[in-house]
Amino acid sequence: MTTLNELRTDALREIGNIGLGGAVTALSDLTGVLFTLEAPQIHQMDTHTLSEMCWMAPESLVVGTVSRVNGDWPGEGAFLFPWESACVLWQILVQMQPSGLDDLNELYQSVINEVSNIMLGNYLQAISQMTGFTLHMEPPAFAADMAMAVLSSILVEALYGQRELLAIETAFKTPEHEFKGYFLYLPETGNLEKLFGVLGI
Amino acid sequence: MGKAEVKLAGMGEIVFARGAGVIGCIGLGSCVGTVLFDPRVQAAALAHVMLPEAQEGDAAVQPGKYATTALPALLRMLDTPPAFASRLKAILIGGGELFQNRSQALRIGERNVETLQRLLREARIEIVFEHIRGSSGRSFEFDVATGQIRVRAMGSNCVEKDLSAVLGILRRAA
Repeated sequence: MTTLNELRTDALREIGNIGLGGAVTALSDLTGVLFTLEAPQIHQMDTHTLSEMCWMAPESLVVGTVSRVNGDWPGEGAFLFPWESACVLWQILVQMQPSGLDDLNELYQSVINEVSNIMLGNYLQAISQMTGFTLHMEPPAFAADMAMAVLSSILVEALYGQRELLAIETAFKTPEHEFKGYFLYLPETGNLEKLFGVLGI
Repeated sequence: MGKAEVKLAGMGEIVFARGAGVIGCIGLGSCVGTVLFDPRVQAAALAHVMLPEAQEGDAAVQPGKYATTALPALLRMLDTPPAFASRLKAILIGGGELFQNRSQALRIGERNVETLQRLLREARIEIVFEHIRGSSGRSFEFDVATGQIRVRAMGSNCVEKDLSAVLGILRRAA
């Protein structure tokens, strides 16, 4: 594995902070609710530890999106919401919520896709302003299923064609509701030097 | 089933049970839980396969990760030379595509399934049970002693099946 020294790990954490800072501001504007960030975590993994990344109950229902990011810092951006947290977003944004998985229609999916779009767009914009990178995102794909199945599908796809996996994970929450959301950025590890070069480290 | 502790194979891992024991995987998305069962000694080995083909230099570290390296590793674990592989039976669970309408579809679930089915056919190993493809995640448990398999998926009923007959497990008198 490419080892990340402390300075580089800190830099990735800071990138996560700045990026998601922009993203939660956009979410607050959208919902009228104040969201706060937890300290970003850097996961550098061989596959042995992939299963350990599932910080939710592995068979609990989660709603997630994943979007491909192209440009100077390519990778995958993914959002995960425990079902109860997704319901908080639906209540705030469309004043109703699905009764269960069977009731999860296109309207509810498009709400989550739109939240992901806006947040990832702002995340990339914040990073772009700091680094001068050009970054484009593709429309998100949606899934609602067991936490471990959703997360592993995201990780395996990001791992494809690479020997190692790096994830910048940032959780966000709000004191006003029982809500927690998770954002993961999974950069292609072959492109990291470019980022560190721009940051001068 | 359910009371005994389940030996779980995490992503890329292989587990083994002989005579008694329950093996399984939790939260399979595009990954495929691949069980090989040897009726003669009532032993089973399970790999949690993540990707179809090995990346150079990586397979030695974790053979269970890739379809192409997992199958030989399972045969070794069951002490079965490839020439005798046809006496084994196989079970495949998983290989779903949870994220629909992806812009760059890598179809990893489908390719995992295709690769495993092809390799099993080439090894002349019969697949006696499959719960594969589709768009949902799955967990499963397989009882090596009884041949009972139980597959759980979100939002649908649990599938339970007695595979003792197709696996050649002799029923003991009660």
